[in-house]
Amino acid sequence: MQIEKKYIGIDCLYIKAFGRLDLDSAVEYGTTINNAIEDSVEYIKNLVLDFSEITFISSFGLKVILELYKQMSERGSMKLTNVSEQIRNSFKIVGFDKFLIFE
Amino acid sequence: MFRTIKSKITVISILMLTFSVFAFGFHTIFSRMKTKQLMVQNYRASINTYFEEISDSISRLEDNLKSLSLIGSLFYKTDRSYQLTNKAITKIFESYPETLGGGIWFIPYKLDKNKKYVCFYAYRDKNNKIIIDKNFASNKYDYPNKSWYKEIISQITPEYNVVWTKPYFENQGSYTMMITVGTGIYVDGELVGLATVDWEISSVIEKISKMKPLDKSFSMYKGGKKIKNSFALFGNKIQDYIIATTDPYLDKEKLVGHSLTKAPWYAENLFGITYITYHGKKYIPFVFENKNNGLVLIICVPKSEMFRSVDEFYSIMIIIMLLFVFITLAIVYYGINKYLINPIDKLMSIANKIGKGEDVQIKIEKPEEFAQLASTFDKMKEDIKNITKERQRIDSELSVARTIQSSSLPNVFPPFPDSDEFDIFASMKPAKEVGGDFYDFYFIDDDNFMFLIADVSGKGIPAALFMMTVKTLINNISQLGYSPKEMIEEINRKICKSNSQGLFITMFVGIVNAKTGKITYINCGHNKPLIKTENNDFKYLNIDSNIVLGAFDNAKYNVYEAQLNRGDIIFTYTDGITEALNKYGEFFGEDRLLESVNYLKEENINAIARKISSDILKFTDLVSQSDDLTMLIFKYNGPSQIETFKGLALQENYKNFYTWLHEICKKWNLDNNLANKLDMCCEEIYANITFYAYPEKQGDIEVNIEKKNKKIILQFKDNGIKYNPLEKPDPDLNLPPQERPLGGLGIFMVKEISDNIEYEYLAETNILTLKFNI
Repeated sequence: MQIEKKYIGIDCLYIKAFGRLDLDSAVEYGTTINNAIEDSVEYIKNLVLDFSEITFISSFGLKVILELYKQMSERGSMKLTNVSEQIRNSFKIVGFDKFLIFE
Repeated sequence: MFRTIKSKITVISILMLTFSVFAFGFHTIFSRMKTKQLMVQNYRASINTYFEEISDSISRLEDNLKSLSLIGSLFYKTDRSYQLTNKAITKIFESYPETLGGGIWFIPYKLDKNKKYVCFYAYRDKNNKIIIDKNFASNKYDYPNKSWYKEIISQITPEYNVVWTKPYFENQGSYTMMITVGTGIYVDGELVGLATVDWEISSVIEKISKMKPLDKSFSMYKGGKKIKNSFALFGNKIQDYIIATTDPYLDKEKLVGHSLTKAPWYAENLFGITYITYHGKKYIPFVFENKNNGLVLIICVPKSEMFRSVDEFYSIMIIIMLLFVFITLAIVYYGINKYLINPIDKLMSIANKIGKGEDVQIKIEKPEEFAQLASTFDKMKEDIKNITKERQRIDSELSVARTIQSSSLPNVFPPFPDSDEFDIFASMKPAKEVGGDFYDFYFIDDDNFMFLIADVSGKGIPAALFMMTVKTLINNISQLGYSPKEMIEEINRKICKSNSQGLFITMFVGIVNAKTGKITYINCGHNKPLIKTENNDFKYLNIDSNIVLGAFDNAKYNVYEAQLNRGDIIFTYTDGITEALNKYGEFFGEDRLLESVNYLKEENINAIARKISSDILKFTDLVSQSDDLTMLIFKYNGPSQIETFKGLALQENYKNFYTWLHEICKKWNLDNNLANKLDMCCEEIYANITFYAYPEKQGDIEVNIEKKNKKIILQFKDNGIKYNPLEKPDPDLNLPPQERPLGGLGIFMVKEISDNIEYEYLAETNILTLKFNI
């Protein structure tokens, strides 16, 4: 899975991934982001996940997003940007739309 | 304006009245003229009589004068007895009652050289008694110096002559207008004295001037009315002077005694009615002349006075006549209204009410003609009521017939909800009258589905009954296992047999094998259907048409075979569609139909039917539908589709699996939303099987996907450990995120997304079946 990461400012991490967030890619996606947080010189407080190129999210993808949310809510915050209607619908089915921040 | 009887009769009566008014008016004018002439004549006659009386008394005056003169000469010649003479004078006066007074006057000193005044004078007192007055023979009166004396003596000639003095007022005793007539007393040719007679003239003139028309035929004149403002002129034509006048103007100018013929209004020889205008007023002069002594009497009567009563009478006559005209008109008008117009109006309003279906009492008693007409109306009303009742009965029966006819056609759509091989939709919008359109469809055996659309010639009950017969007949024959050609020819034969009315039917039939898509068309003189083959627009199906059904019992029919592919649509209709009329008398036509059917680029046949219906409605606007609008649309979907994925349940194979799934979604034209749902569920279950089904050894996974009856059916099979995922409890979605477990989401999602999920364990196989509505 192709993943772009960018540090913005002192404490913000920006992640943009391409393709399906599913059985095959979810673990890689989660690991990449965790590493990026750990590897940062600064203490990452904010995480921005760009969903503009995500075409599909499965329950594995959802699980990763929940993990990331739990982690980030201890540090600061997490938001999702450019979420397509279809993917937002998937979040809704499992009730994640109640706490996730979409922009 | 003059179209109504009322106005016509009114105009005629006005014309008639106008004619009679004119006739009466002419008569009135003419008779008034005549009356006036008559009045003038009468007046003239009556004055003439009076004038003659005057003339008469004048000659008597002159006789009197002669007698006096004789007495005077006798006195002169004889013993000069005063006593005898006075007696003689009194005697003469008694026999001439007109004489007011008179006397004998001797020229001074003529009779006696010592006596200046010798005269005799007598007069009539108020009691008509003759009084001898001796006071005149004195220097107190001095008669030779009186105007009358001088006037007479200057004009007297030796021949016998009578001299009339000018009128003068005598103020001795009564103040009256007098005139004195005198003559000379000659003895042996020598004038010795004068004899005079006095005549009071004012009363005569006044009498004349106040005379009135005497025509007794005028009732208005009863009692009489004075004619005012007339005046009289009395004169002597021979000596040419005015004796007396009542003319106020002449009086004022003191013209009495002056020339008569030079008077401003002097007229003679006037006949008929001639008017003279004098001081701005019109007068009718009446002229009388005594040729013997030249006395002239002219009486001028103002025209307005003369005819006042006649004019008043005729004015009243005209007013009465006009009143009569108006009353007559009013009566005519009232009569027309009451006996002609009102009954007509009444009948009109009754007729209107009857037209609206109201039950009205028709009753007119008079006039007789209208009473008869009203009873005719009444009868007609009853007839109309009966006819209407009968008509309503027929209408309601026809409406029932129409309902029966419509409901005899299959009208529940979709008719085979479990069958996915084809879609069919049909509709018939009947015209007001029952018609002969129909459609039908059914399976004629396990695989073959027949649909047909037909139009029975004619309309109304016969067409409807025939249609029902034909429909049943076709249904029966089609089930008998004939080949399409045999079937249609058999149908034709049967129709011919049961067709006594010579009706015929156009019909288009399609027989489709639902499994293979093989179709047989038969067109029996029906409108060319439209067909849409994959990815193309609709086109008219060009197959040769056969003869209509019911024409010849030995007719041969050609059938055509073709292959339908998935998504092909056949649109059939009756001529009610193409021949729908708009207000300009144009047909909807085949071109508009083609345009309309292609407009939507739609594959949903219900939407196509709706579009065509609304286009026709828009086209015809408010023009009422003249024929049944019938259409039948058939879409071939082909038999149900099924695909299978089989492989080892390994994560490495997951990508192959979802690639396979994506290809199917694309092939079956599933929309993105459904594809996404399938994707999510497949991944979860695939992962479950991969991770948990085979903990010790590798095993297989089999996925079947089937499109059937508007549903996608996914079936997952594995031979791993028995596990029913549906028993897993659902996560609590309301927990705060920190407390939510990471697992258990997947199967919950699957349950949420799929429309139906079932699990079974059969022959050591876990079978999980998911269904999705398309």
